[in-house]
Formats: sequence, structure tokens, C-alpha cells
Amino acid sequence: MGKIYGGHLAAKYLKEIQNVKMVFTLSGGHIENILDGLNKYGIRTIDVRHEQAAAMMAHAWSIYKNEPGVCLVTAGPGFTNALTGIVNAYLDSAPLVVLCGRHPIRDDLTGALQEMNQIDMVKPVTKWCATCYDIKRIPEYLSLAFKQATSGRPGPVFLELPPDILFIQTDEENVALPPKRDHKTALCPDPVAISEAVKIIDSAKQPLFIGGSGVGFSGCKKELEAFIEKTGMPFALLNNGRGTLPDNHPLSISDGGFTGITTGLPQADLVVLAGIRLNWVMQGTKLFPQAKVVRIDIAEHEIDRNRATDLGLVGDCKQVFGELTQKVKKNDHSQWLNTLQNAYKAFMTTELEKRTTPSDPIHPLRLVDRIMEVFGTDAFYVADGGDTCYWGLAGFQSAHPSGVQITAGSLLGCLGTGIPFALAAKLAHPDKPVIVLNGDGSFGFNSMEFDTAVRHNIPIICVVNNDCAWGMIKHSQEMSLGPDRCTCSELGLRRYEKMVEGLGGHGEYVTQDQEIVPALQRAVASGKPSCINVVTDHTVTSPATVIFYQNLSNF
Amino acid sequence: MKLSFLLFFLAQALKIASVTNSKFKKYIANASVKILIKTEAGPPARLFVFDKGKFHSVSGNTNDFDVALVWKDPNTAFSVMTSKSGDASFKAAAQGKLKVIGMSLYAQWFEDAIKLAL
Ligand SMILES: Cc1ncc(C[n+]2csc(CCOP(=O)(O)OP(=O)(O)O)c2C)c(N)n1
Ligand SMILES: [Mg+2]
Repeated sequence: MGKIYGGHLAAKYLKEIQNVKMVFTLSGGHIENILDGLNKYGIRTIDVRHEQAAAMMAHAWSIYKNEPGVCLVTAGPGFTNALTGIVNAYLDSAPLVVLCGRHPIRDDLTGALQEMNQIDMVKPVTKWCATCYDIKRIPEYLSLAFKQATSGRPGPVFLELPPDILFIQTDEENVALPPKRDHKTALCPDPVAISEAVKIIDSAKQPLFIGGSGVGFSGCKKELEAFIEKTGMPFALLNNGRGTLPDNHPLSISDGGFTGITTGLPQADLVVLAGIRLNWVMQGTKLFPQAKVVRIDIAEHEIDRNRATDLGLVGDCKQVFGELTQKVKKNDHSQWLNTLQNAYKAFMTTELEKRTTPSDPIHPLRLVDRIMEVFGTDAFYVADGGDTCYWGLAGFQSAHPSGVQITAGSLLGCLGTGIPFALAAKLAHPDKPVIVLNGDGSFGFNSMEFDTAVRHNIPIICVVNNDCAWGMIKHSQEMSLGPDRCTCSELGLRRYEKMVEGLGGHGEYVTQDQEIVPALQRAVASGKPSCINVVTDHTVTSPATVIFYQNLSNF
Repeated sequence: MKLSFLLFFLAQALKIASVTNSKFKKYIANASVKILIKTEAGPPARLFVFDKGKFHSVSGNTNDFDVALVWKDPNTAFSVMTSKSGDASFKAAAQGKLKVIGMSLYAQWFEDAIKLAL
């Protein structure tokens, strides 16, 4: 064994211990040695056009692969550009590992290039952050970072690696690589609490199960399936839990989208919440004031947050479902499921009609329906936008884990996540179609990543739901300020598909219903990253906008 | 006949609440919503119009609404709307006796408004 550079040592650890296959990055002088190391150790680098996209893609990778996603950004502006993606991962509890350059320690307080206090800025939005000062300790710090990202409730971690330790060499034999241990938390609640929960579940007449990201991260498909099928409970899976069981499972209410959940919750006598926070997306406590609540969460402090729980089970979903399934009685709630499905379909009369009827201008729900017609459930879908998120949530169905991700609908409500998520989905599942439905406004944030898609040959299909506006904001301004006083919420009709063509992708412009399917088929046939710019009805408002408006207007 | 009286009285109650009931006034202060109640055959029908704290109501059918509650027949409408049980409309919807056209979210909003007013 000879000498090894600090940057190479970092890459060696990533490859040999964590088996990292891909790192999302944008180059910079401070991190050059790590980039060189990634090449040396055969780790694929996906270099993007804005660090925000690198962080979001690594976050998405963690969701699609159920393993930590790694991004590498340079000091100063590389760091600040990545911040939005880090915060997004923080609020989504995603195991994102951010490796970041830094000005040299040697030059602290001298006015060095890109000198800034990154750690204090990132601390409140990470689970763990640190600076490594010693080349020999790089593997140890990385090992800590990965453990912190994945143990208990996952979350983003941040490790600063200064050039003083990256660009020097040490004897390779002096550095031990700490082994990777599978410390995925296997917390299980007290047996008494499990028995109490079993009693509540067994006696419920109209139970409803809602699972969130905790279900997805726990990798509990088999255990969830056994639990749901034994209890016979209708269920909906949201966020990163979506698709742990396929959307077309006979007990799933996901075909009702948002309406299915909001119709079911007030009628349920028991709501079982697993790995999901009762935050604004779930409308806190409003929807089920009367129901009994059983909550399963790995984070104890979530159990009674925003709503007193009748029974809390602190633990990992996989373990808890395993325990519960052994003890619950076999039940059949098909009549309740049937009633619920009929009810939400009656509430969705207009939505169902819009899906099946061609219209001019095109209704966004019809657009989603046409996309489903072409790709079906054997595909990955992402929606990004305001109203656009609602339309995607209402219509997309997938048979795959995390097959439908409504990225801007999560806690940060961060527009622009769609294209990075779609790119990561395609990298994670290259043989499946990946479609992102993008609001025209949201498209603007990360559309330069079509260059990344072309350079790295990642043929996603981006369908722009083009209402020529920041629709959700425009429609809520119409309600609050009045239609004549809308401000900063109009966008013109722009030929986004030509922009993508200019970057080397495939473009289609669509204004008529019958053009949608052939345009999608040509996009697939092109084999290129594609943008289908679809002009839709700019007058339609989604229920999500009404809720958004109500939330901000009732002070 | 029973249904049109019920709709008329409901409109009166909402009107009074919009002037006298402070919780209700706050609830409707920012809402611009038109809710139509009708039967599959059309009449009897009544439109309830909320306009940023003001309320009025018009008898008769119209296409200018945000949400329409369409009842199978007047008797069902009457019995469900006067039912004390919290799941009456849910059950009616499940049994095909009620369809919600347009923005169904407003139907729930309207139900909560009625609860506050009465
Ligand atoms: C990064 C970011 N900037 C601004 C907002 C505020 N915002 C919420 S929805 C919305 C409009 C989105 O427009 P578009 O993507 O075209 O989707 P549409 O609502 O028109 O379907 C805006 C600007 C946000 N959520 N995120
Ligand atoms: Mg738009």
C-alpha cells in the first residue's frame, strides 16, 4: 500500500464500504480531489447545472433506491445553491448525504475565496453536520455521516471537507475504513401497547389506514401487505410510502386521490396513521375529530403532535406491522370499503367526467388521463407545480414503490423539484418510463437540467401543464384580491419544448386533445429526454388552491 | 313542496346568521362561493351565494355555480338534509342518491357553514 490523497480516501470509503454507485455533483476547485477520486474508484458522477438539482436528485435517489443519496458540492455558492434541496430533504426526512467543499482551514478569517460559515447556516436544517480536520479521520467522519442519515428517523447530513485534508496524502495503511453496519432501527413497542392496539383495531367498524414516508423508508412491503390483508382495512399511502403496496390493490383508495381521503377520514371510527406526520398537508386534526387514532411512528414526539392519540406505538413500521399482524383477528371491511368508494366517486362526479371527455381547451385532468392511457401503472410519475400537483395526485397511479411523487406538495412546498426527481427516478429505474407533469411556472426552476439529461442520456418525459400562469397563486389572488388585481402571477405562452430541442432533446407542442397520445408516443420513440408542452385550460382551479387560500385567509 | 320550503328556510337562517352570528360571519368573511341545491329532475332548486361576508339566495336552477348538490328526488333531499346523523349525506352519496358536481370541497364547506348557522 502506498500513499493516498484525502479526496481519494473519501471516494474509496464511498465505494468500498457504502457501495455508492452514483454521486450528484457540480464541479469546483475545492472538491477537485474528491471528483478525481470518484473517477478512480469507478463511482458514476452525474454533474448537473445547478447545485439545487444535485441535492434534489440525491434526495430522490434515496427515495427510489431506499438507500442514502450522495451529493457533492463546492464551497460557498455551491453550498448556498444546494441549501434549498437540503431543507427539502430535511422536511421530508430523507437520508441525503451532502459532502461539501470549504475554504482552506489555513486561510480562516483572511478573506479567502468563498470563505463563509457554512456549518452555522446548515445546522438547523440537517440531522447532523460536521467539519473534518484530519485526513486520517475522513472515513470515520463519513461513517458517522451515513449512520446519522439512516438511523432512527432518517434525515440529511452535511460533511465539510477542507482542501487542507483533501489535497494532501497519507499512508494508506494508516487509515482503517470503519465497517458498515446495518443499523436500520428495529425499534418495537411494548407488548402491552401492541395488545391495546389490537383491541382497538379488532373492534373498529370503519377503520382507515394512512401510511406515509415512514412506511416507505422501513421497506415493509411484505409486513404491510400481511397487516392490511388480515385486518381488511381500506388504505391510502402518501409521500414516500406511496406504492409500497400497488395503487391498484383491492383495498386501496388511491383512485380517489385527495377526495378519497377527505371523504373517508370524517366517516372513519378508527384512523391508523403509520409513519406520517399530522401536518398541514393532512390538515392537522380537522378531518377526523371523532375517530379513535392509533399512531405508529419511529419518532416518539410525533405520537401526540397536533392531535391527542388514543394509542401510540413507537417503533419501526416493519417491526410493528409484524407484531400486530400476528395478533389481530382476520377481518372483512369490504362493505365499508364499497360504501366509501361509492361515496367518493359521487363527490368526484365532475373530476371523473373531465378525465373521460375530450375538451377544448384541454382540461388538466384529461391530460393526466391521456398520459395514463399511454404508460399505465408500470411507470414512475412525478408532479411538480401548484394546481398541477393536485391534478397529478388525482390521476396518476403506479404499481411501483414511490411510483407517484407529488414533490412540490410536501412540507417545503418547493417548486422545481419535479425534473430532478424524474431524472433520479430514471437513473434508478432505467427500464421504466418516467414522466414528470410540470407546471409551466415550476418548469422554469430546473429546466436547464435537460442539458444534464442529454449529456447523461436520461430520457425522461416532461409534460408541461401550460396554463400560462403561476396558476395556484393566480387563482388564489382571484379569490382574495379579485380578478382585476392579480399581480405577478401571469406567465406568457412560452415554447418550452423548443428550449429542450435547443438543448438536444425532443420537443412537442400540443393544443388539442387528439394530439396528446401521438405526441407522447413520438417522445418515447425518439429515445431522447423530451418536453411535451401542452396548452391547458387556464381558467380551472384545483381544490388544493381553495385549501391553500382558506389556510391563509382565516386569521 | 317540502324541499322548497326547507331550502327557503335554510336561506333565511343563513341570511340571519350572516348578520347576527359572529362565528358564522367570520367563517364566511373571505368566501366567494355559489352553491346550488337541486334534484335530478331540476326543481326545486335554490342557489346560495356567499360573497365575502354577504349572503343571498335565489330560487331556481342555474349553471352558474361552484358546486351543485344534485339529489335523486325531493324526498331523499328533505330527509337527508333534516337528518341529525353526521353521515347522512355520505350514505346518500354512497347509495347513489346524491351527486356532487363541480368543486366538491365546497360541499363540505357548506355543510360546516350550516352547522355554524343553525
Ligand atoms: C420555490 C417556490 N417559489 C414560489 C412558490 C410559491 N408558489 C406556490 S404554487 C405557485 C404557482 C405554481 O405555478 P405552476 O408551476 O405553473 O403550477 P400551476 O399552479 O399553474 O399548476 C407558486 C409560485 C413555491 N411554492 N416554491
Ligand atoms: Mg402554471
